[in-house]
Amino acid sequence: MSTPTSPYTPRRATWPGGNGATGDGLDLDPEAFDNGFGFEAIEEIAWDDQPLTQNAPQVETVDPERVSVAVDCASKIYRIRSNTEYRNSTKRIGRHLQRALGSGWSEIPALDELSFVVNRGETVGVIGTNGSGKSTLMKLLTGKIRPTSGEVYATSTPIMLGVNAALVRQISGRENIKLGCLAMGLSPKEAKKKFDMIVEISGLQDALDMPLKAYSSGMASRLQFAIATSVDPDILLIDEALNTGDAQFRARTKKRLDQVRAQAGCVFLVSHSLGTIKQMCTRVIWIEQGRMLADGDPEWVCAQYQEYTDHKSNGRMRAAQIVYDRTRLKLSPIQVEFLEGTRPTKAS
Amino acid sequence: MAAPAAERHTPSFQLGPQRVVQMDGEQLVRVGARPGLLRYIRNIWAFRHFLQYDAHARTSSQNNLDSLGRFWMVMNPLLQAAVYFFIFGYILETHRGIVNFIGYLIIGVLTFRFIQGAVVSGSNSIAGNQQVVQAFNFPRACLPISSTVRELFATVPTFVVMAVLVYFIGDYQIADMSRADITLDWKWLMFFPAIFLGLLVMTGLSLILARVVANYNDVKHLITIGVRLWFYASAVIFSVDRFADRGHDWIITVMYYNPAFCILDIIRDAWLYDGLGEPFRWIVLGGWAVGAMTIGMIIFWRGEETYGRER
Repeated sequence: MSTPTSPYTPRRATWPGGNGATGDGLDLDPEAFDNGFGFEAIEEIAWDDQPLTQNAPQVETVDPERVSVAVDCASKIYRIRSNTEYRNSTKRIGRHLQRALGSGWSEIPALDELSFVVNRGETVGVIGTNGSGKSTLMKLLTGKIRPTSGEVYATSTPIMLGVNAALVRQISGRENIKLGCLAMGLSPKEAKKKFDMIVEISGLQDALDMPLKAYSSGMASRLQFAIATSVDPDILLIDEALNTGDAQFRARTKKRLDQVRAQAGCVFLVSHSLGTIKQMCTRVIWIEQGRMLADGDPEWVCAQYQEYTDHKSNGRMRAAQIVYDRTRLKLSPIQVEFLEGTRPTKAS
Repeated sequence: MAAPAAERHTPSFQLGPQRVVQMDGEQLVRVGARPGLLRYIRNIWAFRHFLQYDAHARTSSQNNLDSLGRFWMVMNPLLQAAVYFFIFGYILETHRGIVNFIGYLIIGVLTFRFIQGAVVSGSNSIAGNQQVVQAFNFPRACLPISSTVRELFATVPTFVVMAVLVYFIGDYQIADMSRADITLDWKWLMFFPAIFLGLLVMTGLSLILARVVANYNDVKHLITIGVRLWFYASAVIFSVDRFADRGHDWIITVMYYNPAFCILDIIRDAWLYDGLGEPFRWIVLGGWAVGAMTIGMIIFWRGEETYGRER
């Protein structure tokens, strides 16, 4: 049960040179010209010992029956192979070696530690600009990748519903539907039963026997989405799914999505469309630069997000930063605790 | 992916009150956790239809870029056998001391082709299928198993060709080759248990190698070399007795405990020499099948949570 570590360094309060580091481009040492200026009179506050946030935490006990998903301090740092990593290497020999071999690991921090608890019946919107870590969070929630630290707990394995279900390019659409259904754990009988529904949602009746490589990218993503909707999960993750396809397809998907959502206990919706989010969600989580900025009322969070993106798109970085900080200030971070010995370890 | 660390600005802090949420975790499970071994095996069983359909779909689409299509499933092994015969039988004359050399060579080359294909494709099954791994939740062991089964499906035409060739030209003589009659009888059926046990060995090896390759991609290069060595250690194109009179006894020991050699020897004994396979070969092969399957399953299962990550 680690507390979320936020390196607490208030901006104006750290005196340059005070703790060995000179910041903000001010390379004067105040001690040097401290003659009768009165610096001794300033009381030193050890900020790190008693940050302002360290009030007694409010302890809430939640009803375990209602909890659907609990994310406990999950963070993710991708560690991937990269052949340009040598540029960041500091050791001289190592640098040349890496350059000659053309290999190396590069570490990409995608998500800082974040925690939240989602109850049954909630529809949670997840917003954030591109590259902010939304998709990583979704992958963590479905268990496709392990978080670098922390864990994700849920009542059942959440199912991602999106346009990224893998399809085999060489085989026909018909076979892909069957393969996808079986890969999601349906029995052949159930797969046969769902087949007509999938074809109807995808609207690809004419193209079923073509190999997948003959499909346009729009058609392929329609098929992927249709295959993904064939299950009725308890915890549902929807990733940008509403934005694919033409108007006709969108109408059909909306109908099916409403059905699935009605059955699901808890829904996560990742979207760039604030309209959809405000309309459907009871709660919104805003993730920016891998950090959770806000978690709460859709109207308020969306308004902040709107303001932030407006500033960003007009190049007002400073203003955007202010919105960022201001929003984050209001966040009250939570910490998940399990009663003695009930931390789940078993698999579904 | 978030912005690189340098671009992020660090000093952010919260003023909102810290909250602690306490709950009873009895109802929850850890997402993506690896189930117990028995449960894992049961899960694989539940996904058997996926496994079989995946193998089937990919086999049937394997040759669809070629204008001759599946004809190559037959033609390829034929050409390969012809090449080996030309080089080793005709030019290098490795046939000395082997009765029915043509049948011996055909069985060796074509069966080893299956063994090699199963291990190579199985070892690449996780690393080469990241898309599928990240899109669906199924026991990952399905992929190596499916790729071995797929190799079996794809090799069925080869085995038919092999049987026909052995029956008709297996005892054909060129120059000073020795010959024994080949008769078609029930002993030919020994082929099936031998291939089945072989398949278990291949699956076990695939499971181990799939995990290793998923973690260390470099091993892929070694596998190619390893398979080549294995080829020569399995008496595919020459006889074991070649080494007996030259003081290389240890090579014979290696061969006798080599599962691929056992498979080849059993099939040759059944098809060419009218036998049932030496009991010792069956024992070694059975031991390998059980051992490889058990160890492979455990090794692969222990890495279950690591397969989905980016590489």
